[in-house]
Amino acid sequence: MNEPKKPDETEQFHPKGTILVLILFMLTLIALWGSVYLILLSRGVTV
Amino acid sequence: MTTDSKPSMHIDPYERGWIIATIILLIVFAAAITVAGFAMGIQVPAPAGRVNPQTVAQEGQFATPGLRELAPGKYEAYILAQIWRFDPSEITVPAGSEVMFYVTSKDVQHSFSIDGTNVNMQIVPGQISRLGHRFDTPGEYRIVCAEYCGSGHAAMYGKVIVTP
Repeated sequence: MNEPKKPDETEQFHPKGTILVLILFMLTLIALWGSVYLILLSRGVTV
Repeated sequence: MTTDSKPSMHIDPYERGWIIATIILLIVFAAAITVAGFAMGIQVPAPAGRVNPQTVAQEGQFATPGLRELAPGKYEAYILAQIWRFDPSEITVPAGSEVMFYVTSKDVQHSFSIDGTNVNMQIVPGQISRLGHRFDTPGEYRIVCAEYCGSGHAAMYGKVIVTP
């Protein structure tokens, strides 16, 4: 008969899929923001 | 029995990591914007004054809109936006010129955006918007109204011609 898991064991869960999605989200955000920022710089300064 | 009334705050390590990464990203973005705005001089348009949109075409600088040379390589352009054109719709300057644009509208809300530059202003009746650019590269820079202003909006454009 299986014994119920102890609280310590349930806290060892690693949400790998969620971390991957969040890292992709973060990289996409940086890439899009960075590309717009470079366009801003490439257009020269205002006076 | 313990009587520890001190509140304890538990943050999951993953949650803490996400919060820290987000804060770092916001700081980097804010620093980049600050550098572009204050160290490099990329500014947003500033209101340069107020006018009466009903009389702006008859008096003051906008009665005779156009390009004025202040000094060699330094110009100011007074442009009156109206449905559906810019007056004047075309200005010509030599390469290396610094042009300060003063734009207002005598009817509805427009915008004044020059392709390939950071000049992009909202043009509000009653207010003069001001922003300048240094045109180093010869060519034609299209001016467009980027604020929908009516059925003829798509035909509202002009150009800055920069000669070598």
